[in-house]
Amino acid sequence: MMYHQMPIPPRSEHLWRYTPWPRIHPTKTDDVPSADDVIFSNDGPQVLNSIQPSQDSQGDIARAFLQAAGGSSSQMSLNDESEPIHINARASGHVAVGHLHLDVKGSAVVFLHISGEPEWVGLHITGNLHPNAHLAFGFINELDSNTKFLRCEDWQLDRDSSLEHATLSVGGFRCKSDLRTSLNGTGSSVRQSITVNADGSRHDDKHVEIHHHHGHTQSDLVMNSACGGNSHFIGTGLLTIAEGANKSDASQVFRNLLLSEKARAEAIPELEVLADDVSAAHGAASAPIDRNQLHYLMSRGLSPEEAQSVIVNGFLYNAFSNLTNKQLLEEMRTRLTVHLECELKR
Amino acid sequence: MADEILRVENLHVSVEGTPILKGLSLTIHRGEIHAIMGRNGAGKSTLANVVMGHPAYEITSGRIYFKGEPLENLEVFQRARAGMFLSFQYPAAIPGVQVGTFLKKSVASVRENPPKGREFRKELNAAMDQLSMDKSFLSRYVNDGFSGGEKKRLEILQMLLLQPHLALLDETDSGLDIDALRIVAQGINEVAVDSACLIITHYQRLLDLVKPHYVHAMIDGVIIRTGGPELALELEDRGYDWLEVTA
Repeated sequence: MMYHQMPIPPRSEHLWRYTPWPRIHPTKTDDVPSADDVIFSNDGPQVLNSIQPSQDSQGDIARAFLQAAGGSSSQMSLNDESEPIHINARASGHVAVGHLHLDVKGSAVVFLHISGEPEWVGLHITGNLHPNAHLAFGFINELDSNTKFLRCEDWQLDRDSSLEHATLSVGGFRCKSDLRTSLNGTGSSVRQSITVNADGSRHDDKHVEIHHHHGHTQSDLVMNSACGGNSHFIGTGLLTIAEGANKSDASQVFRNLLLSEKARAEAIPELEVLADDVSAAHGAASAPIDRNQLHYLMSRGLSPEEAQSVIVNGFLYNAFSNLTNKQLLEEMRTRLTVHLECELKR
Repeated sequence: MADEILRVENLHVSVEGTPILKGLSLTIHRGEIHAIMGRNGAGKSTLANVVMGHPAYEITSGRIYFKGEPLENLEVFQRARAGMFLSFQYPAAIPGVQVGTFLKKSVASVRENPPKGREFRKELNAAMDQLSMDKSFLSRYVNDGFSGGEKKRLEILQMLLLQPHLALLDETDSGLDIDALRIVAQGINEVAVDSACLIITHYQRLLDLVKPHYVHAMIDGVIIRTGGPELALELEDRGYDWLEVTA
């Protein structure tokens, strides 16, 4: 279905409850503005080819809108890559849209850095992991603090493939992400870590869907957010295990650290389990900084401000603890450290 | 006698309106090791926490002096920087914060002329060797997933590195096996040479390895008897009931 044929999704839908479509649309919902290209580039030998964007919106209004808006569309094919690949996505103008497809047949480590100062950016990333492919993917959002950002991702994992997926979300003013992974083959697995640092009046909404279509599949999601000022973070998850997908193992943990009285955070994991023999666990917690932790650090000579900063940094670092790919882990932590040091200097 | 490090005068402390310490007095000088023994709930940990400045405890009357200066206006971190150290009974876990990073920050905050770079690593390695700690400790998160014994060793490692003038050791011997106890005791003895030590314990076994100059028996928020190391043996042998009768 085309964008204009779609009804505006009601807020009763899990996905649109906290950031309804009109709030993330760049203008008015019946409008599809002319979009500039998000420019993709990389320094390595891998080639970014121009392609036609996928026409499969999955009946989702955000994906349909990104298709209708056009923008750039690139694809990269990855086999066994010895060095990490850094793809830069540069956005500019009023409204900028980009589509990126990764086709993975071996092992690769890819970092996508998005930056720029447009009023609105839309990004649709799709990826196919072929049998026995392994991808470590780091997404670093360093957009301008006034930018609205819509991001959709769709990952298809074939048998015995694995995806390690890390997000560092520190940029943008109002962000909505809808990240979906389908475990389509037996033995496939996804580890996903999301770290969000929100301050001022930043609004960040992360919706993560993981679908176990086959048995003997694994998923592990950790989402940590630290919210200060008037910021609002929303983490919603949908974990489904299909009928017959026995021996699936799934875990989702959402943690929010509230650093001010006006900061808000929602953590809503959801499970739909139709198989009998599975392991599925989920947990969510939102709390201010633990006073015992503060006291402990202060008893070691750290001032209250230093102690709080150490606890917040540790909390954000900890979201990446479920990653096993060292290059991914180190790069994400380095980026986080740089961000936190810049924050401290402001 | 050597310099006075800690003086507690007629201290009354409450937690959420419940009186815990009811007129406790105690003076410790440099080079002295004091041990406090008492039943559960007698107020031993309260004393350590209130001296360190835990905000949950309210001093209703009495005063605490550190090196002759009143403490009430100093926040916890200022007390640490002044040279006070508390080895916690239950140290807090700080997920995501590596032990190595934490120790470096802490030493830089507390010591007047903190060692830097290679000098710090050398000192750290020596202290860890002394406590038979594996270097992999440094990349683990502070107290996160640590066994009871590992937590206590980390506390003593911090004490060695921070070189306090006053060390408050709150049940540092609990959760330690015999070998670990010996190693930890060695660390305490080293610091005690030039500092004042207050050891809170239930058991004689630590005091076999760290010889106290004074042992205090505490009941219901006050020190009811003070003696030498023989008092600890007597308490271990007879319990606390006889003290109440004598009092």
